[in-house]
Amino acid sequence: MPAPQDNPPARRQRLSRVVNIGLPYLWLGVFFLLPLLIVLQISVAEPRLGQPPYTPLWEWLESGVLQIQVNLQNFMLVWEDSIYLTAFLNSLWVALVCTLLCLLIGYPMAYAIATAPPRWRIPLLMLVILPFWTSFLIRVYAWIGILKTNGLLNHLLLALGVIDTPLNILHTQTAVYIGVVYSYLPFMILPLYANLSRLDPTLLEAAADLGCRPLRAFVRVTLPLSLAGIVAGSMLVFIPVVGEFVIPDLLGGPETLMVGKLLWTEFFGNKDWPLAAALAIVLLGLLVVPFVLMQRLERRMEDSA
Amino acid sequence: MRRRRWPLLSLLAFGYAFLYVPILLLIVYSFNESRLVTVWSGFSIKWYRELLHNQQLLEAAWLSVRIAAVNATLAVVLGTLAANALVRHGRFRGRNAFELLLTAPLVMPDVIIGLSMLLLFVAMQHGLGWPDGRGFTTIAIAHITFSTAYVAVVVRTRLAQMDASLEEAAMDLGARPLTVYLRITLPLIAPALLSGWLLAFTLSLDDLVIASFVSGPGSTTLPMVVYSSVRMGVSPQINALATLIVAVVTLAVIIAGVTSLRGSRTQRRR
Amino acid sequence: MPIALDRRNLDTWQDPKATPYVRIERVSKRFGEHHAVEDLSLDIFKGEFFSLLGSSGCGKSTLLRMLAGLEYPTAGRIYIDGVDVTDVPPYSRPVNMMFQSYALFPHMTVAQNIEFGLKQERLGRGERAERVDEMLELLRIAELRRRKPEQLSGGQRQRVALARSLAKHPKLLLLDEPLGALDKRLRENTQFELVNLQERLGITFITVTHDQEEAMTMSTRIAVMDAGQIMQVDTPTAIYEYPSCRFVAEFIGSINQFEGKVVESDGDQLLIETRLGRPMRVRNFHPLALGTPVTLAVRPEKMRLCLDYREDGVNQLRGVVEDIAYLGDVSIYRLRVEGQRVEMTLTNTQPRTEQVLTWDQEVAIEWSPTSAVVLTE
Repeated sequence: MPAPQDNPPARRQRLSRVVNIGLPYLWLGVFFLLPLLIVLQISVAEPRLGQPPYTPLWEWLESGVLQIQVNLQNFMLVWEDSIYLTAFLNSLWVALVCTLLCLLIGYPMAYAIATAPPRWRIPLLMLVILPFWTSFLIRVYAWIGILKTNGLLNHLLLALGVIDTPLNILHTQTAVYIGVVYSYLPFMILPLYANLSRLDPTLLEAAADLGCRPLRAFVRVTLPLSLAGIVAGSMLVFIPVVGEFVIPDLLGGPETLMVGKLLWTEFFGNKDWPLAAALAIVLLGLLVVPFVLMQRLERRMEDSA
Repeated sequence: MRRRRWPLLSLLAFGYAFLYVPILLLIVYSFNESRLVTVWSGFSIKWYRELLHNQQLLEAAWLSVRIAAVNATLAVVLGTLAANALVRHGRFRGRNAFELLLTAPLVMPDVIIGLSMLLLFVAMQHGLGWPDGRGFTTIAIAHITFSTAYVAVVVRTRLAQMDASLEEAAMDLGARPLTVYLRITLPLIAPALLSGWLLAFTLSLDDLVIASFVSGPGSTTLPMVVYSSVRMGVSPQINALATLIVAVVTLAVIIAGVTSLRGSRTQRRR
Repeated sequence: MPIALDRRNLDTWQDPKATPYVRIERVSKRFGEHHAVEDLSLDIFKGEFFSLLGSSGCGKSTLLRMLAGLEYPTAGRIYIDGVDVTDVPPYSRPVNMMFQSYALFPHMTVAQNIEFGLKQERLGRGERAERVDEMLELLRIAELRRRKPEQLSGGQRQRVALARSLAKHPKLLLLDEPLGALDKRLRENTQFELVNLQERLGITFITVTHDQEEAMTMSTRIAVMDAGQIMQVDTPTAIYEYPSCRFVAEFIGSINQFEGKVVESDGDQLLIETRLGRPMRVRNFHPLALGTPVTLAVRPEKMRLCLDYREDGVNQLRGVVEDIAYLGDVSIYRLRVEGQRVEMTLTNTQPRTEQVLTWDQEVAIEWSPTSAVVLTE
């Protein structure tokens, strides 16, 4: 980009810059970044009765002294009380398992769509996206009817004689896995498809020509080249699932402790805003690493494009 | 190179079955006369009738639709500006932070967005006296914030694919920058604006968590009503609602598909 | 090498009293650290068909874009018809451009594309329609008027792009690789058409190209560019026959170079002693001091077989045929002359089977003193 100049054309450009960059920047700064800073502030406050239900970070005392009160007890509580630690570990575990499951199911699907005859690709892809346009809540709800003890799945399995006594799936971690994979599968398939469809098919032909068998060609050529898609899809699943609330709440049980649900309970149930804020900050801290990884990858792909 | 494709195709079929069987079951049981999901006791549309007389649910749906429309419109404006900035303004100062702000809402857990927005609104009300209470406005602002990020992704892709020399050619032919934008750029990115709008609309209509944080008394959105009724257990009315939503979405997709198909066909014929 | 088209009565640049139509004055353009155009000055006169020739990245496109107003110079001024347009935005310049990608608006028909510029001028409906018809007729594309760009062939698109940029009757037309996207056969026909069009309309054309044949065929003058600077500006003939430096000599066609130094200066002729050991005589118009290191350059087609070779002969060499490239009309012979490669082109006046020269044959060659050029840089 040229250095800033001061001729009329440069001045005209400046107006467009102010509008195009300035407005979204301002909006996201005020309504996205600033709120996160406020969460940080309140995470070091103490809960109290009244409106708002937390103590302020600073106060001007009558003597003209600025009193800043930083309360780290919320964070210490999160560290010391095993329920929070368990919830964090379990959230990460659930996200990890579900990301792998999505990859396991999503990769072959994306690959099959990308290698399908061209006129089939868009309809097949639309079929993947379509459920995403219907309500998320309702799709999770659908699984309640299926997984219940006297639900459709148990009826089917009993009728087929596979099992003698109904399975308890609903309100277990297994139900959470199913619900998450079901809801987040499109997020895995889309970036994978975008990546795989750009893959030059002559590369595989060249590999075959050089004596590489199909499976080996897949492992040595296709897989490394689709790494960017794998990482992008995995991050799109992993990061939001760590903080997921609806699925563990509706499908999970008492043993499925997850941060999102805990945060909700602290906020709406116990009305402990500072503790909820502290949980949000810790969660945010955990997600920074995968997020930065994703950003880096995105930028690298952009540069190579 | 011919390879056996059936293992791959059966996996694909399994994947689609996984995605669609639950939805199909919802639809089937929405016509079940019995309240129990597992027992088929005969065809009936009584749950639809009940749904249409559920005043609370209808009001919530109307509120959600209005919020979604306002959200989608403003998110398209902001998201398009942001996409312009990223595609047309190169390496401006603060670009990395700008991109970060635009990507983070895509993956940020809803509970964090919801909590942080609420805390902002409380602090603003405390400090500025605005917004006065929470409801339509606060929900819309929260939704616009994350929808903008989604719209920016969609529009940005389209804008980047557009040949920059088209705009230069228009300018060379005497069109001023605003005319260039209105006559050349906007018509060419219109499909992306439409899909961005629909995406933002759906995201807003679908959101439970964020709305729960930033709504106030008297502003209950559709997902909030659905959630509280789902928590009580399976309700055939929700099945009926699901069927209606699926019907609307499918219809929209079919219409979009047919018009785009017809459009490309007439172009070829001429 | 194709012969330049006959461009009679077009030598305004030789008239010292003529005022240039386009004046580029010490213009530089930097993109960050990269210097795309460096302190470049150039005058272009009314009615010229001027070509900026160079390989990719030499700054020729940047220069063209600065004339169009799509880039602004970091330093220097640009005048068009006596007016300083350096800071004038593209939409206010009396200049139109034909883009390399053609940049046809995909959502408009051919007629709407042509009409676009006229609408910006706020011309009346009737006049617009008239102008569109005129352009469709000029380029013989009337039957395409209702088509969309995606329904056109490459050649048709090129015509529509040309019609669109001519519709506003610009005084100066800029063409960015106007024939670059066409296949070879179509390109040759279109070259002649472009020149005819330009002569008929009397518009000044400035084109950018990397194709030397294209530049040679169409231009009144050529500017050969390298690394953001102009290496030589002259007529196609002069550029080819009298290159001013080694870069231009090598860029256009192929050329044999012999390094040496001046040993004798006699009127308009120089005697040069080369590394090959024997003196070479060459006509030269610029005085050069004795001992000046120079390069003697001879085009391969200026070489001929020597029938009376002598050990002390001037401009005579003896070598062995190493390679033969048969091109049909001509053959290129690569000779090895005392460790140096020398290229010679001979017209195939006889069928190949009866040709005299074959591999490993010893041959003597010569050229006349007026066929060689002395290069000092």
